[in-house]
Parts: sequence; C-alpha cells; structure tokens
Amino acid sequence: MSLKRLITTLVAIGAIPTAALADPSSRIALIPGGPHPYFAAWEQAGADAAKEFNLGEAEYKVPQKWELGLQNQMLESLVTQGYNGFLIFPGDPVGTVAIANELADTGAPVIALAGCLKDPSDAQFCMGTDTGNSAYLGTKELLKELGSGAKIAHFTGFLVDPNTQLRIDAVERAAKEEGAEVIQVIADIDAPEPAEEKINAYLAAHASEVDGIITTAWVPAVVASSALRKIGDKRIKMVGIDHDEVVLQAIKDGFVHGTMLQNPYGQGYIGSYAADKLRTGCTVKADAPFKSNALTDKFIDSGTVFAGIDDVDNYVGSMQAITETLFATFESTYLDC
Amino acid sequence: MAIDVRHNQSDAFKDMMANTSQQDAPPRFSITRILLSNEFGLLVLIVLFATIFATISPAFLSKFSLYALGRTAAVNIMIGFSMMVVIITGGLNLSVGAIGVSAAMFSGLLMESFGMPWPLAVAGGLAVGAALGAINGIIIVRTGLHSFIITLATMSIFFGIMIFLTHAESYRGISPVFTGFGRMKLFSIISPLLLVTIVVALGLSVLFRFTALGREFLATGANERAAELSGIRVQRMITYCHMLSGVLAGVAGLMLVSRTGAAIPSMAGQLGQDWLLPAFLGPVLGGTLLTGGRVSVLGTLLGSFLVTMLTTGLLLMQVGAFWVQTYLGLLLLFAVLVDLVRRSYLQRRKLI
Amino acid sequence: MSTRFWESDWFGPFVITLAAIIVVGTLNPSFLSPFNIQVLLLAISVNALIAFSQMIIIAIGQMNLSVGAIGGLAAISFAGMMQVWGMPWPVAAGVALGIGLLAGLANGVLVAFTGISAFVITLASLSIYKGVNLGITEAQPFYEIPDIVKSLGNDTFIHPLPWLVIPCVLAAIGLWYLLNRLPLGRSILAVGGNEHASELSGISVRLVVIVAHAISGGLAALAGIMLVGRLQLGQPTIGDDWLILSFAAPVIGGAILSGGHVSVGGTLLGVIIVAIFTQVLVLFNIDPFLVQVVLGGLILWAVGVNRWREVRAQRRAGQVQI
Repeated sequence: MSLKRLITTLVAIGAIPTAALADPSSRIALIPGGPHPYFAAWEQAGADAAKEFNLGEAEYKVPQKWELGLQNQMLESLVTQGYNGFLIFPGDPVGTVAIANELADTGAPVIALAGCLKDPSDAQFCMGTDTGNSAYLGTKELLKELGSGAKIAHFTGFLVDPNTQLRIDAVERAAKEEGAEVIQVIADIDAPEPAEEKINAYLAAHASEVDGIITTAWVPAVVASSALRKIGDKRIKMVGIDHDEVVLQAIKDGFVHGTMLQNPYGQGYIGSYAADKLRTGCTVKADAPFKSNALTDKFIDSGTVFAGIDDVDNYVGSMQAITETLFATFESTYLDC
Repeated sequence: MAIDVRHNQSDAFKDMMANTSQQDAPPRFSITRILLSNEFGLLVLIVLFATIFATISPAFLSKFSLYALGRTAAVNIMIGFSMMVVIITGGLNLSVGAIGVSAAMFSGLLMESFGMPWPLAVAGGLAVGAALGAINGIIIVRTGLHSFIITLATMSIFFGIMIFLTHAESYRGISPVFTGFGRMKLFSIISPLLLVTIVVALGLSVLFRFTALGREFLATGANERAAELSGIRVQRMITYCHMLSGVLAGVAGLMLVSRTGAAIPSMAGQLGQDWLLPAFLGPVLGGTLLTGGRVSVLGTLLGSFLVTMLTTGLLLMQVGAFWVQTYLGLLLLFAVLVDLVRRSYLQRRKLI
Repeated sequence: MSTRFWESDWFGPFVITLAAIIVVGTLNPSFLSPFNIQVLLLAISVNALIAFSQMIIIAIGQMNLSVGAIGGLAAISFAGMMQVWGMPWPVAAGVALGIGLLAGLANGVLVAFTGISAFVITLASLSIYKGVNLGITEAQPFYEIPDIVKSLGNDTFIHPLPWLVIPCVLAAIGLWYLLNRLPLGRSILAVGGNEHASELSGISVRLVVIVAHAISGGLAALAGIMLVGRLQLGQPTIGDDWLILSFAAPVIGGAILSGGHVSVGGTLLGVIIVAIFTQVLVLFNIDPFLVQVVLGGLILWAVGVNRWREVRAQRRAGQVQI
C-alpha cells in the first residue's frame, strides 16, 4: 500500500459525499470470498485491465477470512471508500444477494465473478465456472477413461456451500449416464488436515474397490493427488480441479488423469472491463445470449477445460486463448453501448 | 466484591474484570467508581479510536458508514449476549452459532413452506432456539459434564441435523415486511436492528439488576454450592440460562435473516464457528468473568461495538489487503493495554 | 496418593479406545491393515502435539486460542525458508521451532506481566500471528518442499510406524516427565489448581506462566512443521482447524478446564478416540450430510461412558469436578 495511493484515496473520498456520482474514473474492486490461491490471478488481471482500459483502478480486495459477515463488512467499507464497480465472488449464492443489491442501489455495476448469485438479484450477470457443469464434465472425462461399470469416489468441499450439493448431483448424474456408480462421497474437507486424514483413511480401506476419483474442490484435489502419489497406485484414475502445482505435477507424473481448469485470470480481466463499460453508459443487452445454470439465467461461461497430460504444460496458453475469444466478441455480444 | 470461590483465574484477571458488575452495583453514586469501571474504559477507547479513524479517513463518519457499522455491531452484540448469559453460570456455549442458524432456518421454513405470517414464524424460530438451548442445559445438568464438551458435541449435532434437513438450501420466501426491517434506515443512519439490540440490552439489564430470577442466575454462577444451600434450584437456573442463550442466538440469527433477506445455512459458517469469536469478545472485553457470577450487559455491548468498529476502521484505512488481521490483533492488544494503564494510573492516584 | 489403575484418568478413554478398535476392526478388517494403522498414526502424531500444546495451558488454568495461528506461522516459515532462501531443512525446522517458542513466549510474557486474561491476549495474538501468515503468503502455498521432508512426513521407519511418531512420543514422554517428576511441572499444576496459594508457597507464578506458554508455542510449532511434511506443502491454512480438537482431546482425556489437573495419557487417548471416530465416518460410508451429527453423537457417547468413573470419584471425594 503506497502512501501516494492512500493520499489520493483519501482525497477522493474526502472531497465528495457520494463518491460514486462525482468520481470521474472507474474504481473497480474485485472481492473474493476469502483468502484462497484460486483468486490470485485476479490481482494481475485487475492490474492489467486497469492499465489497458485506462480505469481509475481495479483492485483486488481480500476478506481476511472465509466469513460471510466479514465479506459484507468489506463490501460496505468499499462503498464508503468510493469504489463504484464490484466484481464479487459470492460468499453465499443467496446470502450475498442482499448486499449485492445494496451495492447496485448506489448505482455501481455488480457482477458475480467465478461463482454466481442465485436469481433474482440485481447483479448484471454472472461470469465464471458453472460449478455443476464442471463437475459433470470432469466426471464424464474420468468415465471416458474408466468405461461403464466403474466405481468412483467423489471428494468435495463444505456442505454448507450450496454449490457442493450441485456438484454432488452433477457427479451422480454423469455417473448414472455412463453406467458407473458413485460409491462414496466425502465432503467438508476444505481444510488440508481433515482432508488428508479422511482421504488417506478412505484409500487405506477401499483402494482396492475403487476405480476412479473425482474431486470438485481445490484442497481435496491437492490432497488426493498427493495421496495417490504416496500409495503409488496408477490403477486408480483421478480427475481433479483447478491448477494447483501439486495437481499439475501429479498429472505430468501420471498419478492423476487430468484436471478441470477454470479461468480466474479471464474472469478478472473481462470482468473489470465489463464493469467499467457498464458504469460509463453501456447496458446489458436485453437479448444477450446468456446461458442458464442451476443458480442464474444470466450466466457467461468464462471457460472450463479439461487438461490431461498433453495439455498440462500449455494450460496457461489455452486459458489465454479462451479469454481472447471471449473478449473479442464480448462487447458486441453482451453489451449495448 | 462478589464472593468467588472458584479460584482458578488469576487474581490480576479478576482485578481487570471485576471492577463493575451488575450484581454488586453500588447504591451510592461515586465518580471514582465510574472512572475505574470497565464500561468507562471501553467508552474512552471507542471515542479515541473513532476520533483516529475519522481524522485519517473522514468517510468513516459518512452516513452509510455509520449505518453499516451500527447494523453489523447490532448482530455482533446480540451474539455476545447469547454467550454472556451462559458465561455468568461459569459455563460456555460453543453451539451459539449452530443454534442461531437452526432457529433462523426454522423461521425461514415456516415463512416459505407454510406461509406463516412473520411474527408467528419469528416466534417459532425463537422457540427452536429456546428448545435447543434447553437440550444443552438439560444434558449439562443431568450428566454434570462441563458445558464446553457438551456444547462442542451439540454444535456438531444441531448443525449437522440442520444441514441434513435442508441440504444447504436457503429459504428465500421471507416476508417483505420482515426483510424490509433489516434494510430500513431511521434518520438515514440508524438501523432498526440496533434498536432491537438496545431493547434486548435493556431487558437483560433489568433481568440481572432488578429481578429475583436474574439474581439467582448470578448467585448460581458465583457459587453453585452456596446458591443451592440458600434454596436456589441451581440445575433449573443453569437450564434457564442455556434456554435464554438459545433464544438470544435465535434473535441474532433472525436479525441476519432480516438483513440478508433469506435464511441461509452458511450465515455463521461451518458448524456456526464464525460466531465464536464475536461471542466471546464482547463479554470478555466487557468485564463478564469467565468463571461466572458476574455480568456486565453494558460492557458486553460496548466491547462488541469496539471490536466491530476496529474492523470497520481498519478496512477503511486500507492498511494492505493481507495485513488487516495483524493490525486488528495489534489494536486489540493496544486497546487492552491502554485500558490497563488507565486503570492503574487512576488507582494509584486514588491511593495518594 | 496411590490410585488403582482403573481410577486413573486414562482408564475411561482407554476402555473406549479399546472397545472402538475391537468393534471397528471386527466390522471392517481393513481398519487394522498395516497401511491404515500407518494412516491413523500419522494423524494421531500431529493431532497429539496440537492437543498437548493446549493441555499445558489448560494445566495452568488458562486457554491458548492462538495454537493454530502459531502452528500455521511455523509451518509457512518452515516451508518458506526452504523454498525462498534454500535453507537446509534441519536449520529451517529449528528456526521455525524457535519462532513458535518466541510466539508462545510473547503470549506468556504479556499474560504474566499485564495480568490480562490469557483468553484476551491469545485472541489478539491469534489475529496477529495469522495476519503475519497471510501477509507473507498472500494465501499462496509454498510448494518446494525437499523430498527428504516429504518422506519423513509420510514414510515409516519400522512398518507400520511412521517417522512422525517419534517426535510425538518424545513430546509425550517429556511432558509426562515434566508434569509428574519435575518441580517445574508440579509448579505448573499448582498454579492451575490455586494460583494464590501457589504464590504464597513461593512459586514464581509469572515464570511458570511464561514457561507454559513457551512450551505450548513450541509444541504447536512442532505440529505445524510436521504437517508440512505430511501434507507435502506449506499451506497457509494449516492451523485454522485446530482449536476445537485442541480442547476436545484433553477434555475427553479427563483434563479439568479450570486448571490444575491434566493427563498426558488421557489426552493422547482423547486424540486417538477422535481419530478413530473420524475414520469410522469414512470407513462406513456415512451420508456426508449426517457426518457431523454422528461425530457429535460419538463425542457425547465417549464422554458419557467416561462419566461413570467420575461419578464414583465424586462420591468418594464428595465434591464436583469438571
């Protein structure tokens, strides 16, 4: 935090009672649900977008803990500080709606980023990964490798997150379609210690009965990759999620079949751009070709791709390609300017 | 000074915490006593930090900022009360969050699925809070085990049952009147939620200061055996305190429902653990003894408010995204040390 | 005072542990497979240190809310020093342990010299230590852990005993010796039992409080360092989950929260019981939405079973404990 920024911020806030109206430049905030490596790319994406589109700023603001209350408090504070565009990863798809609406009431564009708000909300749209669909596609990839009749285990995150239920359902559906069976779901393992304990216990008891593993949350993917490497069992196929180095390395070494990548950089970059446009007079097209998912009818897929051993080295490139494609047509497809 | 036969806390801690209590509130008016009180100290700290924040960042005093601060503080204070009424019996209630969420979810269910009018649904939610609190209380007095371990287990059980029944689905069919309440602005800066908290605070003050029941709660906490000998039904008192705690947790949960416009299972985090820190911070900073027998409603209110204000102020000052927590800890430490210095200074002067 | 073994603190938890092992082992033989025992021991080794770290503070009648924050800070320092500065692992581990000791020492000094309750001090320091952790890592893990550390964190020296058991056993023996044989240990328990009386009998309460907090910090740091090896990466979230376990295990093992009475063996058994219950939920494929309910029920059952002995002890002593 540079002194200069502090001063300019203070001047900006001090000069005007309702900063949102009087501040000439866009001040976009990108707010994740809490500290998490997934969102790290947002910081760079915001900075790049700010530079290239000449925004006042596009700042990455991290709540110190994964607490809904803390995220709300941070959002309120950002309003007070005069931010006028918000890209939010909702701490809860329903619980964040109220604060998002309040932010929208100040005239600021609000976009749900990486995860969606449940309709109805005043968010302009949701851009991110369709969590359910990603889990579905990942399971399909896994079963493509395993064939029908396979028995798979599903490791996922906190049950209190409604997305977890979507993932469980999606994995179940994909398995059913392929004639496979989900023999066990282990949830609530978003912290590394319990994840390690439970996944290893599971493998100790059931490694011989299970053919494949699908993981649909960051920490379980990391821990399960390490666990498979530890027992050195390449018979069990696994599809992970996200781009943690542990997972990527395990793919290269053949312990993990592949991973479902998401596109956090593209979300932050295009999101910042869109928030600025929406603030400066553009509107969302009435007939924009939004997709639907379990939470919202205004969904833009920021890209989900499966990366196996052949793609893992080049995953950054493939994500950039998706970002560029999405960006090239973004304004003409989704915005009226 | 109240009799305190539980001799497990440091004497210095007692000194720090013991200067005021509703139980032995002095009938005579005394300036020194007020100046030495915890409540006064907290008030000084609040004014001090508010001045600092407002000087550095004038937006701290903007209408929206004050409104948001009051609204957040209202809930945190209520959570603090919920823990406080159990702490006075010398116990703990780790399941405040789990109870709060369960009560809120039940109200949501009543409003959405059964179309009940909101006052009835609120009553239903509070009844669930009371019932879950009563379960805690009854298990504790029947087994004689420490409330820590019992409420640790029931935290898991209550929350688990709630998640099992709802499958983490939210209830959004909340009465507009009820959610409007959470968004209303009185005089454009006061949230009605803050008024609810103040009313509850007044009620609790009356309970502990003026009613026989409140005094029996305190006597039970101060010395269970002595209370029993003097004819107080100790077990019943402990159960009542847990019920009250459950109701207050339910109130906090419902305040969040009103504010978020939905009953959501994640409002207190995994197992309701997000509430634990605010639950302890208020009472402990406010001068409620962890060993029981003493209570300060005003202290809890001010303590919770101070912590909420520190967080808000730090977020506003933009101390660097990843360092907020460090500064919060340092400020907290600074605050209690300043308070200590103030008190020892006053005490020394008094001696002279 | 001579106590028969079935009256000692660890006997109740011991019976529960034994019963659980027999029942689970019969229903699911893979529970007693060497690999599963190894997995179980890995979890127990680290969790026991976490529990000991809290136990020593419970012994003096206080609470240390910052165990997880200290453990996490030590863990990321350990991993960070190896990755960023290329430090050899024993040096990095030593420094990280030192950081833990210092963090605990700071807690102890603040508690002893200000007289403010440990609850408040460690709550503030929890925030500080965790904040420093986040400030350093910005929530990004350190990945480059030397292979030797990874292998020490997971492999066995005599099948199925993992290396991590060694520090755990040493810590357990050390603590037992400290609390039961050394004057310092007796002072710790005396301060927990009755601070005022121990002060009058010439014990330096301040020193005891500081030492206990330093030990607590060191143990928490050791647990954090071991976790880096076990998880094979320096996760900034290490320690976030420790608080409840750190209290639950000593309490199941018969510790009295108001101080003066803890049991190393009981605490260890408490950790084992929690680890077995956690495994049971996985082994028997409990509906994930019911896992929390079952876990809570099992804890209630465990403390309930342990209760009969306490009731008897109470009747004999004519006083209420815990």
